[in-house]
Amino acid sequence: MTLLTEATDVFAAAEPSGRCLVAFIAKRQPLVSGLFGREQSRRLTDLLRALQGEGWLMSVRAMFEPNANAEPSAFDCGFAHDADMMGAFEAPSLSAALAGAVRLEQAGWARLFATEWLVGPREFSPVRGRGERTDHCWGFLALWEWNDAWSAATTAERRAYDEECDIAFNGDLALGINIAGRHRLDWASRWHHAGVWEAPSLASIDLAMRGHEAAADFKFTTSRHYVGRLRPLQHFIERDAGRE
Amino acid sequence: MSECVWIHYARPRPHWYGLDDAARSAHEARWRAVAETSASAGGSRVGRYHVRGQQDFETVEIWWFPGAEAAFDHWAALAAAGYGELNAFANSIGLAIEGSP
Repeated sequence: MTLLTEATDVFAAAEPSGRCLVAFIAKRQPLVSGLFGREQSRRLTDLLRALQGEGWLMSVRAMFEPNANAEPSAFDCGFAHDADMMGAFEAPSLSAALAGAVRLEQAGWARLFATEWLVGPREFSPVRGRGERTDHCWGFLALWEWNDAWSAATTAERRAYDEECDIAFNGDLALGINIAGRHRLDWASRWHHAGVWEAPSLASIDLAMRGHEAAADFKFTTSRHYVGRLRPLQHFIERDAGRE
Repeated sequence: MSECVWIHYARPRPHWYGLDDAARSAHEARWRAVAETSASAGGSRVGRYHVRGQQDFETVEIWWFPGAEAAFDHWAALAAAGYGELNAFANSIGLAIEGSP
């Protein structure tokens, strides 16, 4: 696969694997009693387990340690956004990703959430933050497109920009942030890329963003960012099943 | 693998308007070659339509592909041919619904 932009000092191109991000930004649906009960909860939980059996990773954590914790998880983002939950899975292929999103919707997910699914292949490998592994209980999802200014820039201008952004990304790593590489969305979205992070705190994400501002990251991109607190996906599912 | 439609909204980026006819034609020839390759690989262009009157974009182009990977390959080849640097875009993919009336 031709990369949309080149690898940098911080980010190395991933070995082509066909593996595919399945990011989601989900807004809780107002539920009429009985629409999502224990039967839907069981079906959805069974499907999450089945997808794992088919080679899916069901959390951002698993992108760093595939065998560490198999519990599906997401990030609670309602306090800061007009969505209630965001997160990311990784599917074995593009086709599996698209079909899996449909299966999840049909198994009951669509009754709980109105969801924007963002699907695309991995471009860069995960990069771990420096220092002892801390409690990475915050998540960050960045979506961005290369804007008109980037598109009109010369190769040398883009290279200088990448080098400047690498300073900011090194700053992110110094804050203990784990960066799950980069995925490519442009084939089926208005966004060109997704970046998913694990972070030790909301403050660390804010500090990181200040570093990206200082590096003029956003002169060449139009971006949207989500932050959220780590929670087991089951909490989002059982909350509504319990209202049956 | 499910058949799919690929929906592509596009409008020229500002610097497209600064290119002369020869430069535009050279770019368009490269993109046409990508489309021909995708068609010979099993894709089918349903059509390209004008939507400027009610959209952020100028055109919408619709393709049918035998699978999502083919849609990705088509777009990746266009992007590698500089298409996205001269056109702002928004893409979408739709899987065929089995058993749909």
